[in-house]
Amino acid sequence: MSASNYQEMIASLERYWADYGCVLMQPYHTELAAGTMNPATFLRSLGPDAWKTAYVEPVIRPTDGRYGENPFRFQHYFQYQVLLKPAPEDVLDLYFSSLEALGIDTKKHDVRLVEDDWEQPTLGAWGLGWEIWCDGMEVTQFTYFQQVGGLEIELVPAEITYGLERLAMFLQGKRSALDLEWAPGVRWGDVYRESEREWSIYNFEVAPVDILTRRFEEHEAECRMLLERELPLPAYDQVLKCSHTFNLLDARGAISVTERAAYIGRVRTLARKVAQLYVENIAEPAA
Amino acid sequence: MPSLLLEIGCEELPASACEEAEVQLRSELAKLGDGSVFVGPRRLVLLVTDLPEREADEWVKGPPEHLREKAAEGFAKKQGVSVDELEVRDGFLGVLVPGRALLDALPERLNEIVRGLAFSKSMRWDDSGLRFARPVRWLCAKLDEQTVEGFGGWSYGHRVTHGEVTIPAAGSYLETLRGADVEPDKDRRGASIRAGLEKLGLADPNERVLAEVVHLAEWPTVLEGRFDERFLSLPRRVVETAMESHQRYFPLEGNRFAFVANGGDPQTVVAGNEAVLEGRLEDASFTFERDVAKGIEGLMEEAARITFVAGAGSYGDKVERLQALVDALGGGDASREAARLSKADQAAELVREFPDLEGHIGAEYARLAGFPEAVCAAVDEQYLPDSAGGPLPVTEAGRVLAAADKIDSLTVAFALGQRPTGSRDPYGLRRAAIGVCRLALEGNLELDTAALAARAHQLLVDQGAELEDDASDVAEFVEERLEGMLDIPVEFVRAARGSGVTELGASARLAEALAAAADTDAFEGAYVAYDRANRLAGKSDGAAKEVDPKLATDEAELALIQAVAGVSPRISAALEAREFDAALAAAAELRAPVDRFFDEVLVMAEDAQVRSNRLRLLLDVRDTVGALGDLAQIPR
Repeated sequence: MSASNYQEMIASLERYWADYGCVLMQPYHTELAAGTMNPATFLRSLGPDAWKTAYVEPVIRPTDGRYGENPFRFQHYFQYQVLLKPAPEDVLDLYFSSLEALGIDTKKHDVRLVEDDWEQPTLGAWGLGWEIWCDGMEVTQFTYFQQVGGLEIELVPAEITYGLERLAMFLQGKRSALDLEWAPGVRWGDVYRESEREWSIYNFEVAPVDILTRRFEEHEAECRMLLERELPLPAYDQVLKCSHTFNLLDARGAISVTERAAYIGRVRTLARKVAQLYVENIAEPAA
Repeated sequence: MPSLLLEIGCEELPASACEEAEVQLRSELAKLGDGSVFVGPRRLVLLVTDLPEREADEWVKGPPEHLREKAAEGFAKKQGVSVDELEVRDGFLGVLVPGRALLDALPERLNEIVRGLAFSKSMRWDDSGLRFARPVRWLCAKLDEQTVEGFGGWSYGHRVTHGEVTIPAAGSYLETLRGADVEPDKDRRGASIRAGLEKLGLADPNERVLAEVVHLAEWPTVLEGRFDERFLSLPRRVVETAMESHQRYFPLEGNRFAFVANGGDPQTVVAGNEAVLEGRLEDASFTFERDVAKGIEGLMEEAARITFVAGAGSYGDKVERLQALVDALGGGDASREAARLSKADQAAELVREFPDLEGHIGAEYARLAGFPEAVCAAVDEQYLPDSAGGPLPVTEAGRVLAAADKIDSLTVAFALGQRPTGSRDPYGLRRAAIGVCRLALEGNLELDTAALAARAHQLLVDQGAELEDDASDVAEFVEERLEGMLDIPVEFVRAARGSGVTELGASARLAEALAAAADTDAFEGAYVAYDRANRLAGKSDGAAKEVDPKLATDEAELALIQAVAGVSPRISAALEAREFDAALAAAAELRAPVDRFFDEVLVMAEDAQVRSNRLRLLLDVRDTVGALGDLAQIPR
């Protein structure tokens, strides 16, 4: 196989999508719970302009941490995100070829597309698509966006999100992500296990609730101020920070069921306003 | 006659979309002729075997014949014919438009079919304006060997093993596709999966999973896998749920499982699926062991601090109410202990992973902690019945706890002003109310819904809940469910709800007894006595507080007083003993004295005292018979 270890696998995906004509981006500079939240996907999927991009995104989900003790659950892992806008007619063939490029003989394996209706209420986004299974392992989520930031999509993009740990487990035949070979002689666990332990302690036990609660308010206020100044891109960063702060509070068990809905509503309101402002700005670019 | 093929080629459709399309395509097929409809993940197919050569001729009706002078020319011009060509039918001018030849009509017709398909969830994928469940990627249409204009003459085989395939003729479609590893017929796919499962020893597969996997493969093969035996120590239902809902597998005996693949090298595919399942089970074991380390008592302490519903306290508060309610329901020690443990698993990590297994997981943890089986079983069964026709708890303690849990949840929701409205019932309150009725009717559980709801409400108040409402209509909401559940006219149910019988099951039996007796003399007698008394006295003011026999002047009046005094305790006793026919017979005895009373006595006597005494007597008649129900509900 060409994707013999974790970093080779990433390199193969980079090569494949670069050859297709994607703009290779780098991970975003603040915590995201999904590659979709990167402005290269979230904001660029709005408006009438074509756009093709691919990038690795570290995903931070505080509640998913298990102190590095569970073979499958981590509060920090990686996605490989591809956005093709508009979705080309042969987009599924492109995806299957990408598996071949990783060294997967699709004739030898059972690759299936299983219904998945994707929804991200915090971002006012939804779409239809599939989980893609390789021999029963969900290695990718594939979505045709229909709405983002509460706005109907003008030019429907296809989003391909490879779950890199699962894909690597499938490729390397490993049953624990911790045992994946990251580079020759170095395992995934060698790189991240201690980080999982410490961050799980932080997320579940130590993160200061009062400071985070205040910080959420501050990010929200800053977002509103930036919206007034008509700066959607900086405003969007504040949406992301609100979202991550909320996730931390959630992991700390500091949010009741009713408060939860209210917090999500607050983030969604901001995300919608940012999306609207972003689209208005594209329509009438500043001189 | 010619054959027609229409194949709508799609990206992988969900099973539900295949089924929605199938229904619609069948009704399209009925308009075209005989043939078949095939649905599957990548194609929706209409195959018509005896299409007429031409569309049917159409009679276009014009103006009445007597307006020929004025209107014929305009009509003829509009239809593009000369006035001479108009014909007369039934006094009207008109023109017979010949049906088009099939090939001319088909492109439009088929396009309408494609565009007319509707799905409960649909999407856009390009600027064609077409909405569909998933993107449509090709349209193939053949009339025998001819390709219909605007459509393709090719299809695609199995996504991985075959590419584009030419369809030589409508009649050879199935054979061509089968040669390209595609079985378009879902019944055949289903049958081959069933046969494969049966060979592995599974004769009654989970139909829900089967209905989905039949649309997850175009060329299904059934394969068998195994998982490490150490996972057999996990609760069986956890293992099965991991297989069924996460992986769409079919659990077999022991550590074996079956699944449906859409191709690949069997050995490789089995090894991969085994690794995935073991991963899932590894994850579940990890969670399970963490829960077990805390133990059910430890989990219970944690759960007691978790909010049940905002405004109605924690699971600790809920458990306190449940313990009081199972006592009120006459439950024994097992049900009280089960109530104490019932919500412990709300703190279990495994329930977060497998929310459908709440109750069941708690029961497993109670078993591991050595609680008696009666207690564990009741914890297991507390959410039953969880669907309209679903099973009831098997154990007595389970039925008691299940009723207490549902009545508490209903009371909480009503007290917080969260009644179901229209089709909105996010907390499943109708289902809960139906469950309460079934526990009474089929489970023979004696329960007085109003008293239990009042008790739950009082406990909520004592616990300091911030309530908006006294929830006094919980019993009414539950009893209303009986109307749809009993196989009798609703009026009898409503009548029985107005009776003095407050126990839910007894009220239902009473309604059935009234309905069964509706054509008997006894019912007629009771009804007439009730109705005559009620019509005259029901709405009048000025009845005395109670009947004074000394004010009775007529023999018929005295006779009725005596009759009521004699019958009333017998009705009460019969109702108490649930002998509804006997109660009805006793009530019917009042008819003769009531009839005589109306014949011989003037109710509206001039003497006010006498008058008010007589009105009271009639109200007593109404109430005595009315212990059997509000008979005014029943139309005669």
